[in-house]
Amino acid sequence: MKRHRLTWAIFIAILLTCTLGAQESSTPQGRTFVTFVSANNAVVSPGHSAPVQFTFRVQEPYHINSSKPLAEELIPTQLHFSLPGEVAIGKMQYPAGKLMSFPFDPDTKLSVYSGDFIIRGMVMAPIKVGIGTYTIHGELKYQACDNNACYPPKKLPFTFNVKVGSGGKARRSTRHS
Amino acid sequence: MNRNVIVVLAVVVGITALLLVGKRASRPPESANAANVNATQNSAAPAQGPGDPPRGSMAPAFELKNIANGKPVQLSSFRGKAVLLNFWATWCGPCKIEMPWLVDLQKKYGPQGLEIVGVAMDDAEDKEIADFARKMGVNYTVLKGTEKVGDLYGGVDRLPLTYYIDRSGKVVDEIVGLASESAIEDDVKRALGPGQANSTAATGEK
Repeated sequence: MKRHRLTWAIFIAILLTCTLGAQESSTPQGRTFVTFVSANNAVVSPGHSAPVQFTFRVQEPYHINSSKPLAEELIPTQLHFSLPGEVAIGKMQYPAGKLMSFPFDPDTKLSVYSGDFIIRGMVMAPIKVGIGTYTIHGELKYQACDNNACYPPKKLPFTFNVKVGSGGKARRSTRHS
Repeated sequence: MNRNVIVVLAVVVGITALLLVGKRASRPPESANAANVNATQNSAAPAQGPGDPPRGSMAPAFELKNIANGKPVQLSSFRGKAVLLNFWATWCGPCKIEMPWLVDLQKKYGPQGLEIVGVAMDDAEDKEIADFARKMGVNYTVLKGTEKVGDLYGGVDRLPLTYYIDRSGKVVDEIVGLASESAIEDDVKRALGPGQANSTAATGEK
């Protein structure tokens, strides 16, 4: 009993120490500009496709470039996936950026995302895929600014599930990418 | 108190102290004169970050590649001149705004010993950066930044980031983000120093 209490005490002590260390080493590089809000965990039947959408939130007071910024040197927002092989994702549709100007350059409009934005796509399952739930890893690449400064490009990793099974609302897939 | 609890607390305090000491040791050394510096902070600029070279300390030395000719350039080669060290990137909108101002300041104060040095924190190819600088009419030295040099200057997690360095190599001010043209000029004057407008300046390799 006494030994158990000591083990717990050491465990809590290490946890506390790590927390303190993490707080001390927290830097502006750890700043959050965009968060992953949700994905509609798609259900797709083998040989079919189903819509999938991803909601992201740009934190106040930041904005990020849209997928089609108006100047070539600006870094576009892009979504990438590490696909498990059993399912594919394609036909990505990025929302149009809001045309906005900012105090640092009131005469120039930029195409940006701010607040919540949704990226849509289609998830596709081949006919011979096994029934089950597949976890897919995604990554949003973006570059944020506020009214006064810009921040180096960042990657936001996230995961979501695709359920392959019968009975899902899906349309027959004509093309897999 | 239970002996075990005391042991655990001692371990916690010890490890925490080691972490804090390690963190402090990883920062750039502060100059002994830092407390004597009378530099005032620009109202547009946020407070210095924990890893930034403090005002009054020697600006951290570095050697970076000149975008224009590929030759290495050392910060120390500008000793004797006032240096406006401007971290920027091609993808940074506010950086683009201040570039024409820097061009004007280089013209105006160059003969008095000002050397503006842009450090591009881009992943882009050198040619891309050089083309961009040319398009912007840049008339000052542009170097290709590295993460290592960025770390010497507090991590450079926001752009533009500008350090004003006096003729002896000491940091007189730092501005994070876009400042007004007049605030930048005030800091340039501060870096040049009072009554030194026409002093002979050492020439740095470009």
